[in-house]
Amino acid sequence: MNLIKKIALVLVFSFTTQVVLAQSKYLVDTNWLEENINNPKIRLIEVSVIPGVYERGHIQGAVNFKWHTDLVDTVNRDIVSKDKFQDLLIKSGINQDSTIIIYGDKNNWFAAWAVWVFDIYGVENVKLLDGGRAKWEAENRALTPLATKVEAGNIQITKTNNLLRARLSDVVAIANKKSDIALVDIRSAAEYTGKIFAPAGVPELSVRAGHIPGAVNISWGNAVNEDGTIKSVDELKKIYSAAGIDGSKPIITYCRIGERSSHSWFVLKKVLGYDVRNYDGSWTEYGNSVGNPIINLSGTVWGKT
Amino acid sequence: MKNKIQIPSLSNYAGVVLVLVLSWWIKIELDQGQSEALYLSLWIGILFGIVLQRSRFCFYCISRDFFEKKNAKGLLGITVSLIIGTIGYHFIFGAFLIDPVFPNLPPNAHISPVSLVLVLGSFTFGFGMSIAGSCISAQLYRLGEGLLSALVALIGIVIGFIVAFQVWNFFYLNIIYNSPVVWFPHYFGYEGSIILQLTLLILLSYFLFIFHKKQKADQALVWWKVRWPTYVGGILVGLIAMIAFLRITPLGVTAEIGSMARTTADYLHMMPARLEGLDTMRGCITMIKNSFWSNNGLFIFGLVLGSFASAIFSEDFKIQIPDRNEIIKSLGGGILMGFGSMIALGCTVGNLLSGIMAASLSGWVFLIFCGIGLYLGWRIKSSY
Repeated sequence: MNLIKKIALVLVFSFTTQVVLAQSKYLVDTNWLEENINNPKIRLIEVSVIPGVYERGHIQGAVNFKWHTDLVDTVNRDIVSKDKFQDLLIKSGINQDSTIIIYGDKNNWFAAWAVWVFDIYGVENVKLLDGGRAKWEAENRALTPLATKVEAGNIQITKTNNLLRARLSDVVAIANKKSDIALVDIRSAAEYTGKIFAPAGVPELSVRAGHIPGAVNISWGNAVNEDGTIKSVDELKKIYSAAGIDGSKPIITYCRIGERSSHSWFVLKKVLGYDVRNYDGSWTEYGNSVGNPIINLSGTVWGKT
Repeated sequence: MKNKIQIPSLSNYAGVVLVLVLSWWIKIELDQGQSEALYLSLWIGILFGIVLQRSRFCFYCISRDFFEKKNAKGLLGITVSLIIGTIGYHFIFGAFLIDPVFPNLPPNAHISPVSLVLVLGSFTFGFGMSIAGSCISAQLYRLGEGLLSALVALIGIVIGFIVAFQVWNFFYLNIIYNSPVVWFPHYFGYEGSIILQLTLLILLSYFLFIFHKKQKADQALVWWKVRWPTYVGGILVGLIAMIAFLRITPLGVTAEIGSMARTTADYLHMMPARLEGLDTMRGCITMIKNSFWSNNGLFIFGLVLGSFASAIFSEDFKIQIPDRNEIIKSLGGGILMGFGSMIALGCTVGNLLSGIMAASLSGWVFLIFCGIGLYLGWRIKSSY
């Protein structure tokens, strides 16, 4: 009986759509993607930030979104406008019934930003490739340099949910203890404590170092395994609740420019199902804002010699 | 006698063995993390070095052959490489970027702004290579042949870079900043761009043919000593350029030298706090190095190594110690080349080869003004 049960269970598992095998309905694993790569319903999008990475080899069928120009409004410092985003999606062959899989370099940071933008514009069926480009490459799966030619899609964006974004006023309220929202700073400990103004290789875009009062520091990297995949729900719950983030209160995530925090936003919101907003202004806005307090545990002062 | 195949003696293989040992050692050193591109860069450099050495792909030497002996074969080798490279690049463009719609550009291709700074840089570079007797890539491969004055020239090039860093911000903010970036496919599509480029290159080749005088045939040598015909070198350079663009980044030999210059200038407190706009440019861009191994560094190392192995194999290797006069010329010419290639964002490889193959107007502008500078430099030098 036991054996039959086991066999039955295996059968049931293999017949249900393989998405179920992934930890979340918002994640797919590399195996699943490779098996479903020719599924006409799937639209694959690469969001990598290193120039030439997509062109020299991407997963078959993927189109290329450029974060710096396609997903942001460079004039208003905002996310891409609804009209421009819809044009981009139509041009990329995305239909109303498409299943959209997004992946990218740098541990899916900018890919997660893309998922966040899709969420704001109410696009359904958007998933992240667990482990991103790095895992796909590490597993020696095929890449192609041939750009993908697609026919125009038919997607229509009908709603914009700006409530998924946190604004400066939201975090200022937390800093001044006028709000009960939990704040998660997902940068490195050196950035959080104010030891450094910006990570190595990145320009110092904020004149103050440190963090927003009230923020707890849970580096984005805590949420991933060695191979870049997102940890299991149990592990994640343990990690976040140790710092007091258990989903009982709404949460805001931030980092330097909002890209790494999109990754943590994804983990908390899509994998754990908490109420989470991403503060895309992040430290480059708050750290430069006038009249708002910071906590700098290292005592660094910009320009002081 | 006729049927007897001659084989070079064992000592001719010393360089080949060195290549295998060093590349193996580097492979092991690189084995942590993602190193495929770095390892490939090394081998592209080795192949490039072998081809330059065997086909004597020295821009100055073959220009001098043309001026002095009316021998156009060397220059025709360059036009052949540009023809092959143009075709190869356009095939790759079509894969990377389906529609060449403005303002999209294929990634990393050396398509840089056309400005008076480019004119000045190209001219200075051409003049400097006449004085020094070789351009930068040829200094590198000739270093592999045992030409020690190349080391002096390299010091000069680093000095030239440091001088150029002092004036870069002025040039960028006043001139380069609003100069146009002209990529032919934006205007004529890929087919139009190929037709335009091939027409220009064939006309140029035809022009060279008109002046060409038949040369005395080389004396018969054993096969490993025979230089490869320049068109063979040209075809291979075109193919290597294509592979480099497809897999890593376009060919260029000054990025790593520029990084060395930047580190040196930093140490001497002679580095401006910022080089404005440089990271938005394409071409041989001087970056601050974050790690010891870099693609361009390994490429350059491979180039010298490949040339060395090839020179040993073909018995071309000869330690040549420069006299005072040569030291002065190499240093002076090196400074001019360093200055020119920094402000022009590349040299005969990064600009002339990789720029023209990429159908960028900047490559053609470099060809013209570098050619003028080279000719003037040669005239002055030969009148002494």
